[in-house]
Order: sequence, then structure tokens, then C-alpha cells
Amino acid sequence: MKSINFGIDLGTTNSLITKYENGKVTIFKHPIGHKETLASVVAFRPGRTLVGDKAREFLTKDPVNIFANFKRRMGTDDKFYVVNLDENVTPVELSTLVLKELKQFVYSGEDVEAAVITIPASFDTMQSNATKKAGLAAGFREVLLLQEPIAASLAYFNNQENNADRDGYWLVYDLGGGTFDIALMQIKEGEMKVVDHEGNNFLGGADFDFGIIEKIIIPYVTEHFGIENFEEELRKNNGKYEQLFYELIYKSEEAKKELSQQHETQIDFILDGQEVLLTITREELENTLKTRVSDTISMLKNILNRNELGTHDIEEILLVGGSTYIPYVRQQLAQHTGIKVNSQIDPTTAVAIGAAYYAANKYYQPEAGIELGENVEDLLSRISADDADPGTYLHPASDIELIVSYSQMSKDTEEVLIIKAGNNWEGKTYRIIRSDGGFDTGFVAMKSKFTEFLPLLHNTNNLFYLRIYDEEQNEIKSALKEISITQGQFNIAGQPIPQDICIEVDDKENHTTRLEVIFEKNAVLPQKKTLYREISKTIKQGAEDSIIINILEGDRNARALSNLVIACIEISGKDLTSDLIKGSDIELQITMSDNRELQTEVFLVMTQQEFKNAFSLSEKHVNIDRLKEQFIDLENEIRNSIKMFSHDENDVWAIQANDFLKELMQHKNELFKLKEDDRTDAKYVIAEVLNRVSQAYDKLGGEDRLERLRYEYLEAKEYIENHLPMADFKKEDLGQTYSKLLKGEHQVLISRNPSILEKATEKMNSLAWDILWNTLSYIISRYEGFKGLAPDEFKNYEGAKPIFRAADQALSNERYHEFRQHVYSITHLLVHNEYKIQNDDFKGTGIG
Amino acid sequence: MDANIALINQFFEMEQKMVAEQLADKFDRNLRRIQHIFEASGLIIVNPAGEAYSESRTDYEASIVGSPGPNLKITKVIKPIIYQNDSQGRQLLQKGIVIAEQV
Repeated sequence: MKSINFGIDLGTTNSLITKYENGKVTIFKHPIGHKETLASVVAFRPGRTLVGDKAREFLTKDPVNIFANFKRRMGTDDKFYVVNLDENVTPVELSTLVLKELKQFVYSGEDVEAAVITIPASFDTMQSNATKKAGLAAGFREVLLLQEPIAASLAYFNNQENNADRDGYWLVYDLGGGTFDIALMQIKEGEMKVVDHEGNNFLGGADFDFGIIEKIIIPYVTEHFGIENFEEELRKNNGKYEQLFYELIYKSEEAKKELSQQHETQIDFILDGQEVLLTITREELENTLKTRVSDTISMLKNILNRNELGTHDIEEILLVGGSTYIPYVRQQLAQHTGIKVNSQIDPTTAVAIGAAYYAANKYYQPEAGIELGENVEDLLSRISADDADPGTYLHPASDIELIVSYSQMSKDTEEVLIIKAGNNWEGKTYRIIRSDGGFDTGFVAMKSKFTEFLPLLHNTNNLFYLRIYDEEQNEIKSALKEISITQGQFNIAGQPIPQDICIEVDDKENHTTRLEVIFEKNAVLPQKKTLYREISKTIKQGAEDSIIINILEGDRNARALSNLVIACIEISGKDLTSDLIKGSDIELQITMSDNRELQTEVFLVMTQQEFKNAFSLSEKHVNIDRLKEQFIDLENEIRNSIKMFSHDENDVWAIQANDFLKELMQHKNELFKLKEDDRTDAKYVIAEVLNRVSQAYDKLGGEDRLERLRYEYLEAKEYIENHLPMADFKKEDLGQTYSKLLKGEHQVLISRNPSILEKATEKMNSLAWDILWNTLSYIISRYEGFKGLAPDEFKNYEGAKPIFRAADQALSNERYHEFRQHVYSITHLLVHNEYKIQNDDFKGTGIG
Repeated sequence: MDANIALINQFFEMEQKMVAEQLADKFDRNLRRIQHIFEASGLIIVNPAGEAYSESRTDYEASIVGSPGPNLKITKVIKPIIYQNDSQGRQLLQKGIVIAEQV
């Protein structure tokens, strides 16, 4: 025996499915739109059957093919003629379709073999049997029924502590979207039952929404706009204001919800070209609800009178149904009855949750597995025997053959899917759903050959599932097909970009620049992207200083200098209409056409100026100041490498690097003599040399050098990991800096660019120094070292003496923060200051 | 996430009003920028206005105005469609609320 666990609230307007597992109840959400509820509506539209919210759309326009509220007809011999099918359907068949659709909510994929289905307290035996029949037809092996007020009570009581000895009466007040039910409940000697009930099948939230239109909006419009027949034209099918009517229904519902949270809200809409703005207070809403809520309270009192009970005999009122969220309903109930109103759990899901609790303690006989026999013949005979047993439920299997054809890449907004079916396709239906829930064909009858147009979301992969169902609408799982179509991103006809296209942006922290990818290598043209950045330095109107938008082609991990500049736009202070302040926004729109023509649009938000440029990829622009900066940067880097190579006794690399340096230095004088307005080709020649040397320098040493640099990086990292826990000051800040460095580690380690590895190691080493200078034992040892220095090692030895005395005192009194500060002060007085003096003169591109 | 949806709905409504008042050009950059911010955080906003109505499109809920015919189009969008891209893929966060009419 197995626990049923699944609960279903098969509602008049909405239905839900839940499951009890490990002490908790899960409410399954609709795979489409992730709502917890499914509209209890079935539409037989031309060629397809829709169940749920989508089925409701044609309800008023195509009532002969769309069915809602059929729960009220359960247990009758009513049949509905469906024009599109030219046949009759029964309320049981419609309920079966809703139950089958609910089974699709169970995302775990497990089969729902049994379920507890709730029914109204008012359901008679015929209606109850009809519900059970619908459940069995939906494929459940076992169906148990539970009255809705009992289910709701279970949900409430299981949510409370100390329920063991509950005894007495309470009420379940269920005010939903379209119906109202009230039930008097009792527990006597441990048994819970519905003593009495009453209800109105045409009273609910939808009436409240319409009340707002009828009693607030229509009088307001009539008074202020004097439109004749406004109400008639609004309410009439195909009336002049029919579109507005649907808009107002939606907006009234929103306003109603808002007024549950706040005291005032506004509704606005356009009426004959004029804007209408209407304030609605909670009090006004309450006036529209008065009569209807009062009706429900009268029914409540009727029940009590009928059963000769006073309000003092009732312990509490449990709230069920979305409309009980309205504060007025709660207040009125409390005020007019004096009974405690319990709203501790979600009233929209209470019934389904209670059904799952009930299901947890009910059992059914699961489908028997096929036992293995002595041999294959034995097994086969058992299988065929099971096949013959009509009482055994087996998953539908089929030898249906499907050939699907479609384009896996598309630039269109929809793509045609062609399906050819072979073998036993007759009588079966198919359904195609997009995985994100944005598309669902509903159940469509199979043909030998058919097509579906699949809508695609832009620039992304669209995954569809094609499912096939047998005559009983049970899914044939073996026939499932996945259809994946990528829209926009790839087009086999377009040409791919051979290298990354990047923009050079400032890395102020490291006084250098880095590349940010705009279009990735192999992205297919045309491409377009908008970048939003900040200006990283203030540029005064009329000044020489400028922002440089440098677009390069090459490796995104490389130094900007090693890449090919394909576009450069310079916006100087002279171009500005006002000062451009650091931190203000810059918007860059970059487009690369099919024939690789680059277009840029730069917009400076602060000055509201726009600069448009179109480039063919042959034009060059070189900014001399920036070129000088890059020159120094490369020169320093090569010089440092030469020192390192010599230190490591790696003479070959040192000699090669020295050659690069020599080549570079041949142009230094010339470059630093150049003025910005120089009209010769000199700057282009030097830019070319820089580019060539930078590329060659990056390749120096090949894989060996990269390996060595990676090793150095990892060594620096290990040092930090060992020393960070020992830091005595600013430990948290240092830890954060370290985590920040680690974030980019993957890119560093896969990089084939020595410069990136060197810079990353440099950052690690710099952090290591910071850690040491925040570690007391290190500071003390350095301090002792400073004490032993000769006076000429200090810039001002006399000035240092009192600091030494103060430091000694702080140390002996264990005032370590103060001591550290004194030692820092002493370092500033040293001739060879260990601290690097940062170059605040870094110009960069001006784009942060 | 609810706050994001509420924010997008307000943004969408403002955009619609600007279009109606012919002010959209003036705020074009700001509108695109806001759209970009949402997209960067994985939220895709889809406005189906002007598209042909489809019963298979489950990413919106439509009210049909007038007599339904073969050429129903979405003539008004009250709430936009919102998808969310995250580590689990793309999912529909909000269905659009639209009005469709025969044109």
C-alpha cells in the first residue's frame, strides 16, 4: 500500500494540485506562467482543445465552444453540444480534461496514480459520483473525495499548535472569485463533520470588480464627461467602449487588490482621447461591497439560527477564497458576529493544502511491478498476461513514427515545423509547448502530415517539447521530441568576426587600461551593442584634455597596445558645450555592419551632446599624449622583465627583451618631441613600432614564460593565504580585496598574455605587502630595523627622534594601533621610502 | 522579484503614455537605458502590440473586443510580457494583459 499524498481542489473557477511530502505540502505551479491555479475552463477551438487560462479568452465571443462553471452541472444528465466538434460533451468529460491538465503541473514527472479531490459540502451523491468518475477517467487508479470545508479546516488546524483536544463548532467562510459558500463545522468525539451549509453560486470577487465600474467609474464619467449612453456602450457586446470595458475590468481588479493594502488608489484610462484620472478610496470601495457582504453575513446567521446556535457557541471563522483578503470582509465578519476571524493561512490555497494533508493518511494499492521469471519466456508470458488484464494500468506505448523538420537557426520571429507521422497516428493528439511557458498549442488532432508555426523569442535559444497523446489523452512518453531553435544570434549566411572587437577602458587602480569586449570573436555580423559607462576624469570645457574612444580588434586578454586599433574617436574639451564632470554617464552605441563598417554614436549625458562617426576599417587616428603614456608603460614593463630575467639568470630572454627595448628607445626622443598638431606620419610610424614590439614582447619566451608566470602568480597567492590569517589590523578589508582578486583568477590563468599574468601577480604581491604592514610582528621587526639605521638614512633624523620615542611608549603600553601609525610616519621620513608613489597623472582614455 | 515586476509595469505604463503624448522621442535615450538595465539583470520585456493574435501564445491573456474574425490583432497592451533569464534557463515571469481586435 502506498500513501496517496496528492490533493486536488477542483474548483468552479480555478483548480489546484498539491502534494504532501516529508511533513510539508507543495503547491504545484502551472508550467506556463507559474501560477498556482488553473482556470477551470475548456475551449474546443477550431482544430485544437485548450484547457485553462487561455481557454477563457473566447468565453464571451464563442460560448458554444467554450465551457466554464461546469462544476455546477456535475451529476446532471446535461450535455453540451460543441459546434466545432459536432458532438456532445458532458460535465464529467470537461472535468476530466481539467484534472488531466492539473497532472501536467507535477514537474517532478512522477505519475499521479491516486488523488484526493475536494467537492463542495452541497454536493449530493450523484454529484460526488460524477466527480469520482472524472478522476478515474483522468487516469487515477484511486480517487477519494473530501468536502471542501473539511479540507480547509485541516489546512488551518495543521498550521496551529495544540490541536489535539479540539472540540466544538466553527464556520468556514468561503468567498471565491465567483461563488460563496458557508459551512458550519463540528468536531465531536474526535470526528470532524459538516453540520450545515449554505451558499450562492453567483457571488464573488468578479462581482466586486464589476461593482467598482458600475458604482464608481460610470457615475464619475457620466458626471464629468457627459457622454450619453456611456454605461450602455460600455456593457454592450460590440459596443463603442467594449475595449475600455475589458481594460476597466482589469484595472478595477488591480485597484481592489491595492485597496486591501492602502487607503487610496488611482485608476487612469483614456476616454475619447482624453485622460481620465480617478481617485478611489477604500471607503468608496466598501460602499460598493456593502450589500453583497451583508448578504453573506445574513446567510451565516441563517445557519446559526437553523441550528439553534448563538455566535458565542462558535469558536472561530476560517477564511477561504481570494475575496477574503479584502479587509472590509474581515472587519464586517468580526463586527457583526463577534466571532474570532482566523486568516492565518493563504485563503486561495487552503482547500488544496487540506486535501494533501488528508491524502497523506489515505492509501491505495499501487500498480504491481512485473516480477522477473525464471527465464525470458517466463517474463514475456507475464508481460502479455498483464497486457491482457484490463484492470492494470500501463503507460501508453506506441510505435508511432514521427519525422520532424525545421530550421535550427532562424532570423524570423517564427519558424515553421513540419511533422510527418507514420504508423498508428490515427486518433492521437499532439501538443507543443515552449519550455519558458510562452507558447502552447493545446491538444491538436494528429494528421499524417501537419505544420505548426513556432513563435521565437529574439536573440536566444527557443526550446519546444512535442508531446503525443493517445486516444484517452494519456501521454506517450516514448514519443517525446525536443525541438531547439536559435533565433537571431547565428545566421549561416552572415560572416563571423575573426577576432574580438573591444573597447579600451581605464583601469585606474592599476594606472593602466584594459580591454572590454564589445563583440565576441565568431559573432555573426551585423552586430549592435550599447555600452553604458562613466567618465573617469573631469574635462573642462575648452581644455586640451580629451576622452578617447579606442576600438580595437584582437585578443580581449591582450594589452591594448598589442591589438589593432580599428576606430578612435577623440572628444576634447574644445568640443564640449560645458564641463564634463568625472562620474557622469557616457553612452556608446557601436554597430558593425555586414561589410564590417563600424559606426559609433557617443552620447554625453551631462552635456546632452551626441557625436556620430562612421569608419571604414582603414582610417587611423592616433592621440600623441596617449601614445606617450603607452610608450612609457611598455618601456617600464620591458625594463622590469629584463631585471627579472637577469635575476633568474635567464640570459636568452634577457637579451631578446633588451633588443625590444633598444628598438623602442630609438623612437623615444622623436615621440616626446611630437606635438598634438603634428601633421607628419611620425606618430603613425611610432604607433606601428609600439604595436609590433608589444606583440613580440608578449610572445617572448612562449609557453615556458607563461608557465613560469603562472607559477609566480600561484606562489604569490599561496603567500597571501598563509599570511592573511595572521594580519592584526584591517583583516576584513584585506580579505575582501583578496576575494576581489580571486574573482578574475580564471581569466588570468587561462590567459596566454604575459602582461596579464604579470599584472595579476603584481596585484597579489602588492596585497601581500599590505598584509605584512598590517601584521604586528612584521611591523615590530621592521621598526627594530629602522632603529638601527644611520641618521643619514633619514630625510630628517631630528624629526624622526620624537616619533621613535612615541612609538616605543605606544608599544610598551600595548597601544598597537597608535604604534603602527608611528611606524608608518617613520617610513615617510626614510630616504628610500618603501612605498610606491602613485602616479596621479595617469591620463588613460577617460572612460571608466 | 515582485518589486522588479511592479517597476517594469510602471515603466511600461509611462512609456505608453509618452508614446500617446508623442513625447517618446524626447525620452528615447532614458527609455532605452532603463530597458538595458532590466535586460542586464536578466529581465526580458516583450510588448506584443501590433502582433497577430494567437491562441497558442500563452505568454499573454487577451480580451477579445468586437466580433472575432480571422485577422485578430493585439491593439492594446495593458501589461507587458516579462521573462526572466537565470541559471535555470528562461521562464515566464508575467503574462501580458492585452486586448485583441479584428482589424
